[in-house]
Amino acid sequence: MTAISDEALIQEFQGGSQPAFEELFARYRGPLYGFFRRRLNNEQRAEDLMQETFLAVIRGSARYQPRSLVRTYLYGIAMNLLAAERRKQFRDSPPGQDTSEPETHDDSDAVIWLRQALAKLDEPEREILMLREYEQLSYAEIAELLRLPINTVRSRLFRSRMALKGYLAPDRGAGEQTPARVADVAREMKLTRAEGEAI
Amino acid sequence: MNKIIHPIEPEELMAYLDGELMADSATATAEHLGECRECQRLVTELRSVSQNLKGWTVEPSEAVMPTAIAHALAAHHPGPRNPSWRRGRGWRELLGQRWATVAWVGAVAAAVLLTVNMPLLRNRGAQSWGLTKNHLAPEKAAELTRRITVNPPPQLAAPLNGRNFTQLQQFAELQPAPPVSSAGPQSDRSSLDQNLVANGPMIIRTAQVSLITKEFDKARASLEAILRRHHGYVGELNAGGNTGSRRTLSATLRVPADQLDATLIEIKALGRVESEAQTGQDVTSQYVDLQARLGNARNTEERLTDLLRNRTGKLSDVLAVEQELDRVRGEIEQMEAERKNMSTQVSYATVNATITEDYKAELQVVPPSTFNRLSNAAVEGYRGMVDGVVGLALFLLSIGPSMLLWGAVLFFPARLLWRRARRRFAS
Repeated sequence: MTAISDEALIQEFQGGSQPAFEELFARYRGPLYGFFRRRLNNEQRAEDLMQETFLAVIRGSARYQPRSLVRTYLYGIAMNLLAAERRKQFRDSPPGQDTSEPETHDDSDAVIWLRQALAKLDEPEREILMLREYEQLSYAEIAELLRLPINTVRSRLFRSRMALKGYLAPDRGAGEQTPARVADVAREMKLTRAEGEAI
Repeated sequence: MNKIIHPIEPEELMAYLDGELMADSATATAEHLGECRECQRLVTELRSVSQNLKGWTVEPSEAVMPTAIAHALAAHHPGPRNPSWRRGRGWRELLGQRWATVAWVGAVAAAVLLTVNMPLLRNRGAQSWGLTKNHLAPEKAAELTRRITVNPPPQLAAPLNGRNFTQLQQFAELQPAPPVSSAGPQSDRSSLDQNLVANGPMIIRTAQVSLITKEFDKARASLEAILRRHHGYVGELNAGGNTGSRRTLSATLRVPADQLDATLIEIKALGRVESEAQTGQDVTSQYVDLQARLGNARNTEERLTDLLRNRTGKLSDVLAVEQELDRVRGEIEQMEAERKNMSTQVSYATVNATITEDYKAELQVVPPSTFNRLSNAAVEGYRGMVDGVVGLALFLLSIGPSMLLWGAVLFFPARLLWRRARRRFAS
């Protein structure tokens, strides 16, 4: 039996079907909660923002247009809510206090190491990497969501993965030379490719 | 040293792992991957990064639907399906998503509006100064009115063209300005006007004389002497004529009315008279009427000023009196100017003189030499080149600021559209 697509579900919901919305909620409750949870240090706020995302969908169901995927639509709302939340935290927090470090309830050493490595990435590159790895968005979806060219998404994703690999390597502590090494790897392989074409 | 040839870029390898390559590129990548150890190592590293990232899991959220969502869902009434963009998309969302762009465009638009409206604002400021004049003290307002009604000195220097007429310009500068009757006290003006009327009818006299003379330069110098003798001045003077053609001088001369006949006799002696005409316009009744209206308006102004000074009443009444006073003062200024103009026209008669040179054309028998023609052509060419370069520079300077401004205004929207188009093409 073929599952109904997200787009068909939201169109049914636009027509008044509550079960269609419940199905959407069941599909995206977990991913959206994970989206907020990995980016905020407050479990309750993550839950609240996940609910606010669905409330925004209910309130603005008439605004959805089938030209974009429901997944992109939902994460677009989530990104806006997250940006507003971060602005609010920045305003409310005392100067010098870092509120952006998320913590999950049973973080192992490996996860703490991973989070610290992620925190070392540039914000735009980290966001692209997380959208790809955790939200499983395609390059085109990330490009639409962040309003970037798809090639920019791809190159930034590659840079962030290589940089993260350097930060996670056990024999490379601070990783100061990691970005340089990323550039070296890419340059070397592009150079050899260009030489091959010339031959 | 042997280098491995990579037909696949590392980013393409990553895209292959993410399932983002087209089928043919994916096949080529898989083939290369099967035989390239370096790429295999890169793939292993990329997979290891993804594997590490997957280790960060989050606790599951509550499975039940939150009450707030359930309530909102129960209260939800479906709207029209697929609404238009205008109805469906709120300004708050639009602004929220593109606040930076909107703020930037708004700032640029405000700058453009300010730039465009600055001269208008300045003019408005000047106009508002003119309005506040009415709220000054009566003495101050009278002083301002006197300043405004004083006429500027007559234009003595006339435009000149041609090669031999600098003396005329000097002559025009040397002419004494006519007496400005309005600059004096008001009582003096009134007595002068009364004298004008009492001395007989007020006639504006105009004469026109056209001469032909063989000695053009001498006639021009004599004209200057005649004007100086009769205390006249040049109203307007035009002189022209090229080498090898007849020269012409046409001038509008102003002489005291009682000196007109003597002046005309002397001017006619400068050459052969081709035509002559005289007219006289009687403006006595108009002048008397104007003076009567002016007196009435002054009386009205005094009464209104007394009202403002001595009476108290509602603010609306005071404002109405001020408006009426403003209107009456405007009329007085207009009539004063008219009266002064009429007095000047009566006191000074106008002579329109035209002196033409009696010129005999000579046949030019020596043609210009080839060298001169070549030299002239070279000079003309050089001048054309310089004019072209200067013209181009002027054009660029004149449109440069506008182009910069519009470039700044349109840069970000154009870049936004370009990115969208490129993204759509890429996807």
